[in-house]
Amino acid sequence: MAVLSMEQVTIKFGGLTAVNEVTFDIEKGDLYGLIGPNGAGKTTCFNMITGVYTPTSGKVIYDGRDISGMPPNKIAEVGICRTFQNIRLFSALSALENVMVGAYLRHETSLLSGFLLSPRAIKETAEMRKRAMEFLSVVDLAEEAHSRAADLSYGKQRRLEIARAMATNPKLILLDEPAAGMNPQEKDELREVVLRIRDEFEKTVLLIEHDMKFVMNLCEKIVVLDHGEEIARGGPAEIRSNPKVIEAYLGEAV
Amino acid sequence: MSLSKILGTRVISIIVAVAACVILDMALSSVIKDAYYIRLVMLAGIYVTLSVSLNLINGITGQFSIGHAGFYMVGAYAAGLSSNAFFDKQPLAMPAYLIVSILIGAGAAAVAGLIVGLPSLRLKGDYLAVVTLGFGEIIRIVTLNQEAWGGSYGYNVTNKYQSIALVFLLAIVCIAVCRNLLKSVHGLSFLAIREDEVAAQAMGVNLTRTKVTAFVVGAAFAGAAGALFAHDSGFINPDLFKMEVSFLILTMVVLGGTGSITGSVFAAMTLFIIPEMGRIIKFEVSQGMLVALLLAVGAMVWAIRRTTNHFHGAKPQKSLRYLLSVLVPIGVGFGVGKVIETYTILGDKIYKANDLRFVILALVLLVVMLIRPSGLFGHHEFSWDWVKSLFNRRAVKVEA
Amino acid sequence: MEAVFPLVAGLNLDFNALPQQLINGIIVGSIYALIALGYTMVYGVLRLINFAHGEVFMLGAYTALLTSYTMGYSPEAVKKIFQDGGEVSSNPLNLVILILISMAVCAVIGALIEFFAYRPMRGESRTAALITAIGVSLFLQYAGQLFLPANPPPSISDKVNPYSGSFSHVFKPAQIAEDGNVISTAMEVSITHGRLTMLVTVIVLMSLLTYLVMYTKAGRAMRAASHDFDSASLMGINVNRVVTFTFMLGSALAGAGAMMLATFEGTALQPFFGVLPGVKAFVAAVLGGIGNIPGAVLGGIVMGLAETFVTWLGFSQYKDAVAFVILIIVLLLKPGGLLGSSKVEKV
Repeated sequence: MAVLSMEQVTIKFGGLTAVNEVTFDIEKGDLYGLIGPNGAGKTTCFNMITGVYTPTSGKVIYDGRDISGMPPNKIAEVGICRTFQNIRLFSALSALENVMVGAYLRHETSLLSGFLLSPRAIKETAEMRKRAMEFLSVVDLAEEAHSRAADLSYGKQRRLEIARAMATNPKLILLDEPAAGMNPQEKDELREVVLRIRDEFEKTVLLIEHDMKFVMNLCEKIVVLDHGEEIARGGPAEIRSNPKVIEAYLGEAV
Repeated sequence: MSLSKILGTRVISIIVAVAACVILDMALSSVIKDAYYIRLVMLAGIYVTLSVSLNLINGITGQFSIGHAGFYMVGAYAAGLSSNAFFDKQPLAMPAYLIVSILIGAGAAAVAGLIVGLPSLRLKGDYLAVVTLGFGEIIRIVTLNQEAWGGSYGYNVTNKYQSIALVFLLAIVCIAVCRNLLKSVHGLSFLAIREDEVAAQAMGVNLTRTKVTAFVVGAAFAGAAGALFAHDSGFINPDLFKMEVSFLILTMVVLGGTGSITGSVFAAMTLFIIPEMGRIIKFEVSQGMLVALLLAVGAMVWAIRRTTNHFHGAKPQKSLRYLLSVLVPIGVGFGVGKVIETYTILGDKIYKANDLRFVILALVLLVVMLIRPSGLFGHHEFSWDWVKSLFNRRAVKVEA
Repeated sequence: MEAVFPLVAGLNLDFNALPQQLINGIIVGSIYALIALGYTMVYGVLRLINFAHGEVFMLGAYTALLTSYTMGYSPEAVKKIFQDGGEVSSNPLNLVILILISMAVCAVIGALIEFFAYRPMRGESRTAALITAIGVSLFLQYAGQLFLPANPPPSISDKVNPYSGSFSHVFKPAQIAEDGNVISTAMEVSITHGRLTMLVTVIVLMSLLTYLVMYTKAGRAMRAASHDFDSASLMGINVNRVVTFTFMLGSALAGAGAMMLATFEGTALQPFFGVLPGVKAFVAAVLGGIGNIPGAVLGGIVMGLAETFVTWLGFSQYKDAVAFVILIIVLLLKPGGLLGSSKVEKV
């Protein structure tokens, strides 16, 4: 059974059809790429998967369950987490605290115990702090644990977002343009991190990217959108030589 | 085996807190004979609770609520009305009954908090602010028109009782609850909403539940304070809960630093005096002097802002500049004011401290916003670690 | 009607009074609309609720009052003329002078408030700017209490108003029984010449505003800044000047409304007299869709009608709460307001 199935997913905003009958399946352990020129509807797809938008028609099936239109916090609960195209960190909080928010999803003590600061709450807080530190180490941000998120460099902020998403213990992780604005070395490091996420942590990854080289080097399966419609689907080699893809990206080096 | 192991640190803290409040109560009651000053002490404690509870909603959860006096009022009236109706029919005596009354006030205000909080969920900052203000006013206007509750004449709470111990105990409980929240991982979910709602929700935070909880808990504490207030003063009327009170509490939170419990406490204990200013601090200012001083404050703000934004020198020089920015305009203003009042008719009209209360409040708010919007304490909290670090620094210096 | 709706019967409504109430509502609403325009334009450009706008309105009324004194209409001057056996009269030119001065003074005050209190807050969070606005509002109210005449609350001498007549039309005369009891009241409408002038002035001002906003360069700049402040400044628009212009425009309209209210309605002025109209006008702006200029006008009219309707129903003591109730209902059902749009936040 596929981890995620997009079944004829369509969304219309007023008169504009942003995404039109997009269909693809993601299997467990896939490194799946969602690419396409600007305005193709990629982030809109992400938003439909994570519950920010409700599809006008079609279904988003996760683990056999129809999650179309579920609120974002429930979707995080069932195991889908994401990073954002425009970084959305909790600016005034430290890096560690940011990741702890992710870890908090799996909390077991009640809110009341938080207000009362019961021994169990104290214990859980310490445990979450420890787990958050582990995730920070995965993305190589352990030394920045107590730095304010807003003070971190751009590349570190992107990695922090990934650590935070990982802390929610998702089955499927959505990365929205994780390599944007990174230099080649940072992109290599990012590639390593994503591979670790899939290999060591056994997550399934769906990512949006503009950098073709990055995608071709990393993703095993790719779907290409243009103007809200799917124009190609397959492995890197097929996509690279697909004339429709080349035409859509007109002028972009592949 | 140490006592802490037998009872647990928490139980000990509770016992210490209760004991401290009782001792404070006994000490103050015996030292201060003037009932008015006792009232002031209680007012200080009540405002601590009010500002810390507002901080939970505004500063910690980032929901802009400016109708807090409404919850305060609901608690006061609920406690007062029920006290008059039921006190004689139940077994408890004062002050034990006060605790029941606190719960009634808190409960009623919590319901109000729910009513205000639920619909407000979808509203953004500015709109939420106005809606909360609106709710506060609606509550006030409705109460004003209820004959059974005394209407505009007010309502007499027959079983008056003052308890400094309970007022400060309530304040301590409020502070403790908020601090506990921030020390636990649960607090992070509230802060996350403040920082970025969309991201918080994407990480699984239940926006509805968290926001409503903040409103309900914040309102409950305000209502509890209202219950104590009703019994302390023995008389409540809608005029005591006007918009100005909400703004006073808001100023406390802003001055202290939104998000900083310490700041709210500090600001509450300093600013609560403002409405009472006329009776305690007696000074008089002529119209000419007032104008000169107002302009001086303006100049001071300008000078301070200029130093903050445009001066890039070393720290000692910067501090010197700040000092001059305060002293020079105020000094000059004072001098010019003296001249004006001696030589012109503007010196004829005299204002007493009582008249200047709310101008001063408004000025405090404006000056804080223009100089340091993050407030006195910013996001920082008082902690024992910080105190220890002070000692460590000195120790290190000595050793070196 | 009474038979069909028992509740209506209990309220003892006078349906014959309805047309007059309609007219009253529109007139009150037109003043709200003038003030609401100031809120909506400032919000459109700065995304800030100018809490102090009600106080600008108040200062406009006081300006009109004090100007009328210098024109010779102060209570002492009027009394003296009577004692000397003379007559006090006015002419429309006085009104024109009054309204222009009120508008000019308010425009300046608005610009000053923006420059000294809001501009420093431009980089800060919206909450901070809003709190600053509250601070300015409070400051102006209480400083006004210190410096402006308020005991007893003065009002502009009715002698300033040169119009004394009214137009009226009777649809149905009152029916009075032989013993003098009233069987049914008259259905008539009447509008004083003063109020008619007010209405006409409001229409003129709004037409001018529309022309300014739609057909001049300054107006275009304002609309551009409303759409996207940062892009507008990148396009070479001097946003500071646009903001100042917007404040001056909105404040001037409030000043006009204040002058007319004070002169034609004889309202007693006290320093807090801008609070309620300010709140109600703000609700009107939100009702119409804040940032939307025609919306502010629509909102103002609706608010005026709602208020008069509630009074007609017999609940005049809740008149002021009506504003808040409407606000809450609108924000819950249609947060964008009647004519506004709910912009989707890009995630």
